[in-house]
Amino acid sequence: MKIIVDGAKCQGNARCWAQDNEMFNLDDEGYLPSQTIVVPDTPEKQLAARRAVRACPERALALEE
Amino acid sequence: MATLASTRPAHVPEEHLGDFNLMDDPSMLPRPNGEPHAAIAKLLDGPPVFYSLNNTRNGEGAWFVIRAEDQRRVLQDGETFSSNRNIFASALGETWPTIPLELDPPEHGKWRSLLNPPLSPRRVMNLEPFVRQRAVELIDEIKARGNSCEVMSEFAFPFAVSIFLQFLGIPNDRLMEFVGWANDLLHSTPEARTKAARTVIAYLDDLQELRRREPTDDFMSFVTQAEVDGRKLTQHEVKQMSVLLFIAGLDTVAAALGFDFLYLARNLDDQALLRAEPQRLTLAAEELMRAFPTVTPVRRATRDVELHGRLIKAGDLVACPSMTANRDPAEFPEPEKIDLAREDNRHVAFAYGPHRCLGSHLARREVVIGLEEFLARVPEFRIKEGVDPIVNGGFVFGVENLVLTWN
Ligand code: HEM
Repeated sequence: MKIIVDGAKCQGNARCWAQDNEMFNLDDEGYLPSQTIVVPDTPEKQLAARRAVRACPERALALEE
Repeated sequence: MATLASTRPAHVPEEHLGDFNLMDDPSMLPRPNGEPHAAIAKLLDGPPVFYSLNNTRNGEGAWFVIRAEDQRRVLQDGETFSSNRNIFASALGETWPTIPLELDPPEHGKWRSLLNPPLSPRRVMNLEPFVRQRAVELIDEIKARGNSCEVMSEFAFPFAVSIFLQFLGIPNDRLMEFVGWANDLLHSTPEARTKAARTVIAYLDDLQELRRREPTDDFMSFVTQAEVDGRKLTQHEVKQMSVLLFIAGLDTVAAALGFDFLYLARNLDDQALLRAEPQRLTLAAEELMRAFPTVTPVRRATRDVELHGRLIKAGDLVACPSMTANRDPAEFPEPEKIDLAREDNRHVAFAYGPHRCLGSHLARREVVIGLEEFLARVPEFRIKEGVDPIVNGGFVFGVENLVLTWN
């Protein structure tokens, strides 16, 4: 499972960070830069990943299974 | 001007008019047990975009954009939908934008880059001990006075103001003075508003001068020492920012707390649940923010655009009430249901797009910590019998009077 981050859409709502502050490592301004996050293969991380994608008010995250 | 502007503009056909407006719709005025959120949510049953007359203090009309998806489009596109309105300065008879609220991209972005780090989620954690301490002090004072309180003036408002003071670097012994100015600024006659605006600005100017000479570790010192475009900020720019922090974080935080207390006083089961399991508060506060948001961001179109077959002309105002987007069934399953355990709650109480509330991470912690400490220290509270809470709608929804009582 992967998460594609569209950094141009990120506005620093930090709703992903609230789900998992390791997987979603915000920069000093509180934004998530464009990147592909490889989600570790554990049920907790995968649940946090799914929730983070759904929780983003800007729809800056996309899930790739 | 008011009478001219409140007639239908030529490019808006009769059938695109709606009869709701934020300024004088009866459901938006302060009322005992008012339910402005329920009233405005009815707009979801009507057209997704409509024009409404008389939506500003000077009588200008505005387009209303009702659904979450459409609001996202408007608020994410600062080039087409400008924030440049100079509202605060107009109370002084002046013309300048507050920073960053009334600036557009790309200018807006460089100020956000300066201001984001001190209000980032991580840095806000450093402010938590103070936030908690202030909550506890205010609650202890309330308890020493008896077993009831008017929670807005005795808790929510002074709590929000004293956190602003601490953040900026103003000693807490000025608290009641600032509370008075804030009241005049946000809830008073135009004359009192102008006077309070001048007083606050004069105070912030003095503080600024002091911190330029002798910096400490507060926000005012940070902005007076900081650089943008390779130069120090001017005295005017620091004023444009600091005055915004004052107005943006008071009513909004107080109102969020007020609606939460009102909900919990009316829903004793949920109150008991959160008291027994305070770890639920983080999610619960998000759900209450979804159900009872307070702000309607407004933009001005910079070019003609069409939305759902309506022609929004360059120069038209566009209003995006967070209350309708937050109850949009396309965005939230069972939006009418308040579910304190709702997950993945992508509500728009703090707006979408580049102007997403700069203080949102602090505001979230203020609300959660305020509720946490109140529930931990005050036993089951209810609305005092015979004293109806007063609730208002309008540009910032709020609770004006809420007397709680407990045994
Ligand atoms: C629950 C409390 C709060 C709510 C509901 C709230 C809501 C909002 C909303 C909806 C906006 C966007 C306005 C627009 O786009 O036109 C905004 C912007 C802003 N808020 Fe808040 N706010 C809250 C608390 C705070 C606090 C505590 C601070 C200060 C630390 C603050 C500072 C700001 C600033 C500076 C902006 C302008 C951001 C920009 O234009 O880039 N807010 N707020």
